[in-house]
Parts: sequence; structure tokens; C-alpha cells
Amino acid sequence: VRPAERAAVALWLAFATLCAVLALRAEYSTDLSAFLPRSPTPAQQILVDQLHSGAVARIVLIGIEGADPSSLAKLSAGLMRRLGKDPRFVQVENGSSDILERETGLLLRQRYILSPAVAPERFTEQGLRAGLERQLERLASPLSMVASRLLPRDPTGELFEIADTLGEDSGPDRRRGVWFGREGSRALLFAQTGARGFDIDAQSAAIAAIRSAFEQARRDAGVPSARLLLAGPGVFAVQTRNAIKNDAIRVSIVAGAAIALLLLVALRSPRLLAIIVLPVATGAVAGVAAVDLAFGSVHGVTLGFGATLLGEAVDYAIYFFARAGATSADSGRGLWRTLRLGVVTSVAGFGALLLSGFPGLAQIGLFSATGLIVALLVTRWVLPQLSPAGFEARIPAGLGAALQAATARARRGRSAAYLLLALGAGWLLAAGSVTWNDELSALSPVAASDQRLDQEMREDLGVPDVRHLIVAGAGSRERALELAEEAAQRLRPLIAAGAIAGFDSPALYLPSESMQRARRASLPEPQQLGANLQRALSGLPFRDGVFEPFLLEVAAQKRAPPMTREDLEGSTLAIRLDSLLLEGNGRWQALMPLRGAQDAPAVARALGGAGPDIVLLDLKAQADALYRDYRRRVLTYSSLGAGAIVLLLAAALRSVRRIWDVLAPLAAAVLATCIILALAGVQLTIFHVVALLLVVGVGSNYTLFFDRALRSEVDPQRTLAALLLCNLSTVIGFGAVAFARTPVLSAIGVTVAIGAALSLMFGAVLTSGGGRGTNRETQAHR
Amino acid sequence: MVLVLALLAMAPPAPTAQAGWSVQELMQQLARSRPSEARFVERRYLKVLEAPIELSGRLLYVAPDRLEKRTLQPSVHTMIVDGDELTIHEAGRRKPRKLRLQDHPSLWGFIESIRATLAGDLPALERFYTVGLDGTPGDWELALAPRVEAMRSVVELIRIGGADGRVRWIEVNEAHGDRSVTQIFEDSR
Repeated sequence: VRPAERAAVALWLAFATLCAVLALRAEYSTDLSAFLPRSPTPAQQILVDQLHSGAVARIVLIGIEGADPSSLAKLSAGLMRRLGKDPRFVQVENGSSDILERETGLLLRQRYILSPAVAPERFTEQGLRAGLERQLERLASPLSMVASRLLPRDPTGELFEIADTLGEDSGPDRRRGVWFGREGSRALLFAQTGARGFDIDAQSAAIAAIRSAFEQARRDAGVPSARLLLAGPGVFAVQTRNAIKNDAIRVSIVAGAAIALLLLVALRSPRLLAIIVLPVATGAVAGVAAVDLAFGSVHGVTLGFGATLLGEAVDYAIYFFARAGATSADSGRGLWRTLRLGVVTSVAGFGALLLSGFPGLAQIGLFSATGLIVALLVTRWVLPQLSPAGFEARIPAGLGAALQAATARARRGRSAAYLLLALGAGWLLAAGSVTWNDELSALSPVAASDQRLDQEMREDLGVPDVRHLIVAGAGSRERALELAEEAAQRLRPLIAAGAIAGFDSPALYLPSESMQRARRASLPEPQQLGANLQRALSGLPFRDGVFEPFLLEVAAQKRAPPMTREDLEGSTLAIRLDSLLLEGNGRWQALMPLRGAQDAPAVARALGGAGPDIVLLDLKAQADALYRDYRRRVLTYSSLGAGAIVLLLAAALRSVRRIWDVLAPLAAAVLATCIILALAGVQLTIFHVVALLLVVGVGSNYTLFFDRALRSEVDPQRTLAALLLCNLSTVIGFGAVAFARTPVLSAIGVTVAIGAALSLMFGAVLTSGGGRGTNRETQAHR
Repeated sequence: MVLVLALLAMAPPAPTAQAGWSVQELMQQLARSRPSEARFVERRYLKVLEAPIELSGRLLYVAPDRLEKRTLQPSVHTMIVDGDELTIHEAGRRKPRKLRLQDHPSLWGFIESIRATLAGDLPALERFYTVGLDGTPGDWELALAPRVEAMRSVVELIRIGGADGRVRWIEVNEAHGDRSVTQIFEDSR
């Protein structure tokens, strides 16, 4: 071994070690916001915040099934009792008590601060008179039992106003004192974790806590048949991680074994089998290191996709060992030239993602570009040093000849292939048969049945899916609350008009200080109030002295300090407040989810003049628009990448004919893959686009080798055999991925397996070899 | 003796149960009665008011578990109990209030005092009350004393009187001193 070669190996070892260290120390994130734009609009930022830490992302929906209703109710109570004590949950509800009943004392105490009806005119003689008459009517109503007890303290009926504002009439069905689904066969609870929805480890611990609490409750209740059902963003995040992990393990084992067997048969050397993974492995750690250096952290999705894109690099070693595209004269230089061009085109394709403006996509681009270049360098400079001298894979006698004959026959089908492609393309365009799934949920790796369960429980529980949300943002808590109050004022007429059923607001639980001041100022001085009341009472049938408690409590409230968050501590109101009033980066956001928004445009109109700090969001539309935008960008940058590939090939090949030969099969493979997917009724997502990028990357190597085999003095049989070997390993590998249970993975698997097989086929069929001349040239060489 | 007779005559009707007349028999009689409509007049004697409030309206009972109380005077309110669901339509309120009786045990017990009596459903009554009977089939009186502490804090005693398998009046004594008396005048058919 020459010193230079030894140096190459040493350099590689040092480099790989350095990268491995960096990769081990790298920070891995699973934060989906990496896949959101770098400079989001305020609306998108809110969406990201919600995904991150919003109450919506922290909800665990819990269902209990498989027993009679009374056992289910007992289990619901048992689970509630245990989880209620668990610090991992900030809130657990099973419907056994509602806010009005549980917090009557607090609400009654703070009624003059919390009631939206409090105003000066309510405590004048006329106002009090109207209030007393209203109460008199209530005494003659079915609510008389409640009204007559409250009357001495609350003659203006503020508690009734609060009850109407916090209105809980639209709650879930209750049976035996706890929430039940509509069919009555499923008890329902919901829990809110303290940890963020995407903090997968914390979510995993919370879910384990729910499961173990349920086991205990089930043992205590002696109902072994009962089952626990869980849904919600955190649950799905955990399930997804586990599913992907399981899929990855299963797929790697199956595909690894199959490919190893294939290579063992072809290369007949266990040692080669071991070193064949070195280029890919080095490329992967180098990719991780590069991404970590450039972005400060590595996203989980980058690893998944990037590693997939590196699939192309496995082929390099195979080409090398099979001496594809090499002639005896150039000692492999032809092979390297072809591979180099292949890598450069792939890098151009993936590299386009670098420019996309989405950190997540840029990471994938950088990862695969770095990985491919490093893999090629390792194949070129290290692999030869490590493999036995003069080794080359033996091609089974007859295989090469058979392949060559098959290729020659296949070329006769060219016209038919073009015709079919043209027909297919026409169909795709005419019928609009390519359908994009433009819902963000399409990105969700969660099984459809779990999504249905989530939807069902959500509807039954009436948990807002926070589709329509008003957000008031400000620099301080007070200002955010004030803005929420302003928005509320604009929304109230809409409830009466039926445009919305209602809304929630942090200011309902903690009014701004200015609002509190105004309400307190509405309360007259004790003497004045006494006089007003005296006059208001004249002619009404109330007994003397009944309203003493009212006068005393108003006087006390008038002097009371402002209500603060601390006054609500430990109550249901505090929990509601905290989930609706968020602080981050010195900004406060008041969230106001709308209930039953029938007429969103009317809401937008009502908020029209409210200034830029109050925003109405349709979160689903936002998320879907974001995703559509995302898909559009992926397509744009993929097209740019394709353009770059064409230019590169043009520069390298310098012949329209050859460029056509290399590109036509690729375009045909991509087109045909799309046709097949469309025929199968698959809705395309960005995962398919990324998979098609890989098809181009892998396929361009095939067509370059075809082109080379047909045009220069290489052994076409050897090259064809190498291509077949590469193709088989790709199809086996991604064929295994196609059977993954995670929809994302299987989409990639299906697309690449089909696309890679088609690339080889079209390479054989469409590469013209520039007519007979080149064929003769190759023949002559043989 | 004359004095005793005079005292008896002056005393409010305090009938004593006849031999062979039992709660079970009363319940059977009540259970036999068909869907009934009636006019009612209710007087509420409330601690906070100097004079009682008088309400009137119509009652409709459909066996076994639907009861409608439609107050027409002084304002229109409707209260409908159907199975486990209580719906209250209040004058001047667009949306009815809906409650599940199971969520409000005291309210449930209160409703059941009337509904279970009309249905002749003794087990349902005894679920909430200790049931006492006085009088004769032609003039009987049930005394319902809440069993559970939570309910005793709302209702002290409910008395229901009637004749010949028909309910004629209901008196509710609330724990904190309010009282209501409802007279029922069944439509003659």
C-alpha cells in the first residue's frame, strides 16, 4: 500500500471519528416548527405557538369502554381521583362537577368583578328596581329555589349573569354523574399535561401514568373487561415515535437481510458485505455533523428523510465492486467519472432544498448533499484500500448476455412506451387526476382509525378543536386582557344574532385592572346605595331588611383590593385563565376560542375596526394554507433542482442527443410513477415529492451508466449486471419500507420502489444509444 | 266528650290510616290512573316576601316518566321532565336550560316526589324518602321525609294529599323556611 493510500485511509478514519463525535453530541429536535417558514406571519407564529405549548396540544382525551355504564362511571371516578393528584397533569376532568357548582363560592364572592353586566346604571334607583323585578320574576319561575336563597345577597342577579356568560349548557352527555359518549357505551375524561405536546418523553411518561392509574382503578373496581382508549396530540406524538421506531427496526431487519443475501450471492464475500456499508455510514455521520454545525440542531425528520435519500449511496459501492462502466484500460476512471456526474446531479437536485427558506427542508438538502459527496469520496479513496487486491464481483455466466439481449429487445418497445406515456400524461393533465392532499393532517403519521377516535371523543366532549380563535397580543398582561375585553364587546352582539354560539376569554376569569376599576366604580357608596335601594323597593313586596347582606357585601367589595391571579389559585378559573393567557418572549397573548362559529366572516367584520393587535384566525385554514404553501415551495425548489440537473448534464455531456438519452428515461420514470400512483387513487403529499427526488437521484446513475455503456469501450454486460444488482437492492429496500405501518414511510417506500424499477426499465427502453453507430462501437470493443 | 268532639272538628284533617289500607294499595291505585291533565294553583310563601306569590297554569302527566308544568301566570315558564332530562324554558330567555337529573340529586329527589307519586312507583319514592301514609282511600296524605342529608338541607318535608287514586295537593317545606302549596284541579272528563 502506497503512503498516499494509507494517508487516505487514516484521513477517512480521523474524519469519520470527528463526524461521529459531532453526531453523538448533536442536539436532536423533534420540533415540527422546523418545517414551518423561517419568517412566519404573526398568524403562523400563533399556530406554531399553539402546536408548541398551547392547551390544545397538551390535551389527552381518555375513553373507557367495555363494561356496563355503572362500572364505567366508577372507573372514570377512580381514574379522575388518581390523576387529579398527579403533578404531571394540570387539569383532569370527567364531568363530575362543573365550574358553576364547584366555584359557586368564589364566583359569588367576586360577582361584582366578574359579572359583565356590572355598570353604574345597574345600581341607580331605576336599575335596582329593574333588577328586583327581574328577581321577583325568578321567584315565580322554576328557579325559585335558587333565586330565593341568593336574593338577599344578590338582588341584581349578577351570579345569573356570570352563569350565562360562562354558559356550560353545551357540555357533553352525562350519565351517572360523569361524561359519556353519545352512544352511552364510553365514559369520557380529558386531562391536560403540564408538559408541551411535543415534549415526547414527558408525554410518554404522562401516558404511562394514565395507563397505570387505569390499571389500578380497574383492579379496585374489579372490571377486567374494561378498556382504555387514548387520543390527542401528545398521545399521537408518542405513538408515532414508537410506530416509526418499530417500523424502522422491522424494515431494517427485513430489507437488510434480503439485501445482504443478494449481495452475498453476487459478491461472494462476507468481508465485502461489511465494508460495503462504510460509504453510506460515513456519509450519514458527516451529514449529521454538517447539519448540526450549520443549524445548531438536527431534526428527527431530517434523519429519516436524509437517510432515505442516502439510499443512492449504497449503489456506489456496488458499482465499484461490479466494475460498472469501467474498461480494462482506464482502471476505473470511467466509473468514477460517471459516478461523479451522478453525484453532482443528485446534489444539485437535493441542494435546491437548501434555498427553500424552510429550515427543515434546508436541513434535508444539506444532509443529503454532504452525505452523498462524502459517500462517493469514501467509495473512491477508501474502499479500494480496504478490499482485496484486484477484486471484482463475478457476474454469473449468461446473465450479462441475457440482460444485453433483453435490453436490445426492450428498445423495440420505444414507440409503444412513448405512446403510453403520452396517453398517461394526457390523462393526468386532462382529468386533473393528480390530486394533492392539501390538509396538514395528511402529514400526520397517525393511523386513520386513531384520528377517527380522536375526532369522535372531541365531538362528544365538546373540546374546542380551536378552529376559530381570536388572538389579542400585547406587551403586557393588562393590555392583552384589555384587548380581549374590547374584542368581547364586539362579539356579544354576534351571540344574540346567532353568528357564534359563544366565546371564551381570559378576561372572563380575570378582568383587566381597568375593567375591575370601572366595575368597582359602578358600585355606589354605601349610603347612596341604601337610599337608592330604599326608593327602588317602594311598592315591591319584599320584606324589610332582607337586603342587609347585599349592602354589606357591596360596601366591602368597593374597598377590596383588585382581584389578581393569586385570588384564583387552585380554582377551575385559574386553570382556564392559564390556558387562555400565554406569555412568551415578553409578549402576552389572550386567546379567545369561538364556540359554534356559524358565520366567521361576520366575526371578521365585527373585529374590523379593532386594530391590528386583535386577529381572527381560522387555524385549520391557516395550517392547510401553510402546508399548501410548503408543498408549492417543495415543488418549486424541486423544479429548480431539476433545472440545475439539466444544465449540469448539458455542460458535462455536450450533446443534445445524449442529454435526451439520460433525461428522457428519468422524466418517463417520474411521470409513470405519478400515473401509477394516480391510478391507484393515491393523493400526493410532499413525501411523494421528496421520494421522486430520490428516484431522480438513483435513476440518473442508471441512465448515465446506460449512456456510457452504449457509447464507450466498456463491458456492457458487466454494467448491465451491476445496474440490475443496484436496482434489485433498491427495490428490495424500499419495497420493505412500503410495508411500513407508518403512512409516511410507506408512501416513500412505494414511490421509490416503483420509481427505481421504472427508471431502470425506461433506461433500457429509451436510451437510444444514438442509433446503430454506438452499438457497433461497443460490439467492436467486445 | 263534647269538648273532645269539638276539638276533633276544629283540628285540621289528621286522618289515621284505616286497617288494611297500605302505601302499596295507594300506589297501585295511583299507577292505574291514566294520562292526566290538570289546572294548578301554587302559592309560594317565601321568607323574603311579605305576601305569597300565586302562580297558576297547567300540569300534564304522561306515564311513566314525563311531567310538564306550564306556568301561565304571572309569567310563562315551562318545566318538562322526561326521563332523566329536565328542560326549563324561561320567559325572556332564548335558550332553554337543560339539566340531567342525575347530576343534581336534590333536584332529582324533588321531582321524583311528584313524578313517582303520580306513577305509583314506591321504590323510586323510597330511594329518596321515608314514606308515611295517613287517612283513607277517599282522603289520604303522604308524608315524604328526605333520607339523605344533602337533600335535607334543601327540603325538610313534602306532603302530598289526594283522594281515590288522584293527587289533589302538594306542600313543600324547604329547609330554610320557604314553603309552597300547590292545588291540583283535574279536568273533568
